Amino acid sequence: MTLNWIGVIAASATFLGVWIGHISVRKIEYLSPTIWVPSCAALLIGLFLEFGALLSKNHHLSAALGIFGITVLWDALEFWRQQNRVQKGHAPANPNNPRHARILHSSTLSTNFDWLDRNPIGRRLTVEEPKGIQKSWQ
Amino acid sequence: MNFFGLILGLAALLIIGFGFVWVIRGEYYLGYLWWPYIMGLGILIVVGSMFVQSNWGSALMGIFGVSLIWGSTELKEQAIRTELGWYPFNANQKPDPPFVEIIRNWPAPHL
Repeated sequence: MTLNWIGVIAASATFLGVWIGHISVRKIEYLSPTIWVPSCAALLIGLFLEFGALLSKNHHLSAALGIFGITVLWDALEFWRQQNRVQKGHAPANPNNPRHARILHSSTLSTNFDWLDRNPIGRRLTVEEPKGIQKSWQ
Repeated sequence: MNFFGLILGLAALLIIGFGFVWVIRGEYYLGYLWWPYIMGLGILIVVGSMFVQSNWGSALMGIFGVSLIWGSTELKEQAIRTELGWYPFNANQKPDPPFVEIIRNWPAPHL
């Protein structure tokens, strides 16, 4: 029986696309003073990869480029969603980034604290507890 | 024009989108400690995709399998989100997975 590697290639492209996108969107959004530059760059790279997938005669290469390209196109949108998370305080703001500094100044919910960097405790936190966690971190 | 990759990419987008839904539901009803079983199932599905001769079937299996692996790494953060009130918290007793005490000692992965 011949092994069909296209599933593993598709899986690898999906995992790498989601993983690299997940980390790079958070990192770039944290550091970039503008959001439209990285967003447009991701849009162009994603379209370029999709164009490559369409032109490729090899199914394996087409699959890898097509899947990775779509994840990069999604990242173009994800930059804006990440900024919304920062505004809501669901992702840490960078006080050294002028765009984030403005958000920290204008939004009472925004914070430079990473809420997700801890272990679950198995119960709903009381209203006061998040403030306590934040204070103990500062 | 070869539409194979583009269509697979769109399928991957839908499968990953479904991943967001099952991670929220899965954590709500089962809790995050089931992550090794979901990750193991994902790995088995990816390995199983090698034995599917259809390119479409194999690729879709691979994407689905890896979405389970990815989702298993999201369960811990989802549990924290529910504790913070960002998502509904299920106060009912959640079923313990087999070997729960061993799993508790493992650091839950997150990327």
